[in-house]
Amino acid sequence: MSRRIITASLGLLAALGAAQVQARGMQARIDRVVTPVATLQQVRVRVDWPAGGSTGDLQLWAGRVDAPDLGYRYRDLYWRCPLRRDGEDGWRCEGALRSGRSPPMQLAVRFDAATTHASLAQGKARIALDRNAASPDLTSFDLTRVPVQWAQVLLAKAWPEARFKSGELDARLTIDAPANRPLRISGLLAWRGIGVETADATIAGENLGGRFAIDYRTTPALSLLAVDGELRGGEFLAGNTYVALPATPVGLRLDALQHAGAAWELPRIEWRDGNALAAEGSARFGIDASLQALDIAVHSSDMSPLRQRYLSGWLGLFGMGDVDLHGAIDLRVQVRDGLLQVAEASLHGVDLRDPNERFVFDGLQGDVRYSAGAPVQSELRWHGGKLYGLDFDAARLPFASADGLLRFREDAIVPLLGGRMTFRDLTIRPPQGEAGADIRFALVLDDIDFGRVSEALGLPAFQGRLSGTIPNARYANERIDFDGGLSMQLFDGRVAFSSLALERPFGSAPSLSADIALDDLDLLPLTEVLGFGSITGRLDGRIEGLRLVDWTPVAFDARFITDARPGVKQRISQRAVQNISSVGDASFVTSLQGQLIGLFDDFGYRRIGIGCRLANEVCSMSGLHSANNAFTIVEGAGIPRLGVVGFNRQVDWPTLVERLMAVGSGEVKPVFE
Amino acid sequence: MKQVFGIPVVGALLLTACVTINVYFPAAEAKEAAREFVEKVIDEADKVEIKDSSKDGGGGMAMLQRRFDFDPLVLIGIGSAQAQSAPDISIKTPAIQAIQARMEARFNGTLRAGFDSGALGFTSDGMISVRDAGKLELKDRVAMNAAVADDNRDRKAVYREVAVANGHPEWESQIRDVFARQWVDSARSGWWYQSGGGWKQK
Repeated sequence: MSRRIITASLGLLAALGAAQVQARGMQARIDRVVTPVATLQQVRVRVDWPAGGSTGDLQLWAGRVDAPDLGYRYRDLYWRCPLRRDGEDGWRCEGALRSGRSPPMQLAVRFDAATTHASLAQGKARIALDRNAASPDLTSFDLTRVPVQWAQVLLAKAWPEARFKSGELDARLTIDAPANRPLRISGLLAWRGIGVETADATIAGENLGGRFAIDYRTTPALSLLAVDGELRGGEFLAGNTYVALPATPVGLRLDALQHAGAAWELPRIEWRDGNALAAEGSARFGIDASLQALDIAVHSSDMSPLRQRYLSGWLGLFGMGDVDLHGAIDLRVQVRDGLLQVAEASLHGVDLRDPNERFVFDGLQGDVRYSAGAPVQSELRWHGGKLYGLDFDAARLPFASADGLLRFREDAIVPLLGGRMTFRDLTIRPPQGEAGADIRFALVLDDIDFGRVSEALGLPAFQGRLSGTIPNARYANERIDFDGGLSMQLFDGRVAFSSLALERPFGSAPSLSADIALDDLDLLPLTEVLGFGSITGRLDGRIEGLRLVDWTPVAFDARFITDARPGVKQRISQRAVQNISSVGDASFVTSLQGQLIGLFDDFGYRRIGIGCRLANEVCSMSGLHSANNAFTIVEGAGIPRLGVVGFNRQVDWPTLVERLMAVGSGEVKPVFE
Repeated sequence: MKQVFGIPVVGALLLTACVTINVYFPAAEAKEAAREFVEKVIDEADKVEIKDSSKDGGGGMAMLQRRFDFDPLVLIGIGSAQAQSAPDISIKTPAIQAIQARMEARFNGTLRAGFDSGALGFTSDGMISVRDAGKLELKDRVAMNAAVADDNRDRKAVYREVAVANGHPEWESQIRDVFARQWVDSARSGWWYQSGGGWKQK
């Protein structure tokens, strides 16, 4: 309810006061009462004063009350109160004020020659107004537990998009409206349980509490606002930034100013959330409310509450809503003309852990500095970490930055699984506008223990050392492409990886594609590692178009063939034959094997060749050569001459994997010549 | 023996024929595959059924099926592989199925409520978007935003992986279009979708 209406009513009463109170009854009808703020229409006032009585009966009706500037509009107002003398020259009257069907409110008015006091109450909510003739420019307001909806119309003047849903306000404000000096509103403002939402739902708050000293001064040329106090609990969402305020008070201090026709500036911003987050800075906005300039320094001596309080909205968007943060950080950011100019982070013993085990960085220490202009240098170190289960040791990253690029000023060497991984010529272009981040680097792998890689990735215990150079790697659009290749000494032979690419490395279903070439692998240790029986000889092979999605193969074209070499024995053990040959209809085979194969421990062979082209979960098998649906996997040599021929070219891949896991192979049976 | 030598020739001819067929994007098969995928994600949890693609594929299965049809020897010994014989657009790889399962769980756990309330909508590029956050309680909004972002990551992966798994990475945008239409086709009445730049309610 507007204080102005009370004032207007007061005016009426004052007019009445001047009338003949000795009369037993008086009535007045006024078509229209115009005050600077409100217009009252169809007003009727009636005072009945019993002869000799000390109290009169005041009744006031108003058909319409409009306060267009404030946006208030009432119909059928009715106020009735016992009118009595107050002191020498004063009056007071207190009674129920009704408007239409709304619940009644209690309006109390008291005035004398020097002071005016009015209050309006409903339940526990109360608005009081005080004026004193000695200081005619001052009006005091006292709001106690006033529902925020009462102020909706006023608040809408300041923030038109907002809709206040719940909460209550306390305030003790003084309005100083002198003729020749700035209008000043100052005092204390507190709120509890505020729920607010903008029409487009981009900004919303729930259960917000706070207590602030405010000081607002305005002239036509300049407006100044100073806010100092603390926020007490609640949560709010602005765009993707979600802040869940802690139960402990968060200090907030803002100084704001606005020149006529210009946008708001915030020369001072202070945010104090205990150890979790302290920020100090300034900001300037454009007419369109876009951020034009920002200087802010942020310090957190305990990062662990940051995710839950401030970062969950953003981290969730990047699928990292569960990332654990520990340690301390200092951050400085400078924005000019809407563009990031400087960003500096100093990390003090920060641990960054993804509970999904995609990455872990422990003991991050040092600086990362980004500059859109003048060159800066920095260095970041860590104690160790883990990437997709692969452990890496302490390393330092020597950064340099200028002109909007972040790069390594020298090689960064990361010890990894017994060897080392060197990043060379790394440049990072941070995301700009629509374009995502673009990262380029060269990568050198040196003597990495593949046995440990196998162990970490749950592969069979392959032993080897992995080395290689990727002269150009590029990350853009959630995809890393690697030019060049890696090679590895494995089982006395060589395995080469090329055309490597990794899609969505930290996103949904990471996909790795590669071509792999195998050259001269010693079959004996290989088959032993695979628990496949034993085969001696050398193996060549190619796996082309390999694609792993979520680390599971979905496509490849693989072909393996033995490579006869002078002086190398080519024997295959009975168990290996059985494993290769075991077919679905095992009984028939077993009996055959029992009768014939069982007599020999191993057999000579001339060539072994097998291929599988995987697509759509079906493996198209091939062998050394094929006729019809049959394909020869093993060509025997010597006596007994053993041949293994597969009869089913199309094999269900999951079934094949299952059988391989059970150290068997699918849909093939031995043929004896 | 003559027959034995004849088969590879026939096979080779058929293979050549298949290559010709596959120059064109198999729109009908893609739609069928998308329908199956989308229905499974959107279906109420208690109505989920495992659908056999070979049943309702009908004339849609072009290449592999045709190859099998023409080569009786392949048919004889196919066994388990036959059940997996896929139409031109397959969504049967375990990776895609894992994503599908995740999307289904997410849909039932979080997103369905968003669609029912009108907070979410299907965009014209096969993604989903918070179209009216005001329909959500503030406390649910952050989780919904994250679920939408997660789901869109999964969607992107599905469109890409379906294209790659079918040997045609260049089909990604067409597959995305087919799925985009399917999400709208399969949407329950009352759900919102993007059309011609604006939002419409089904």
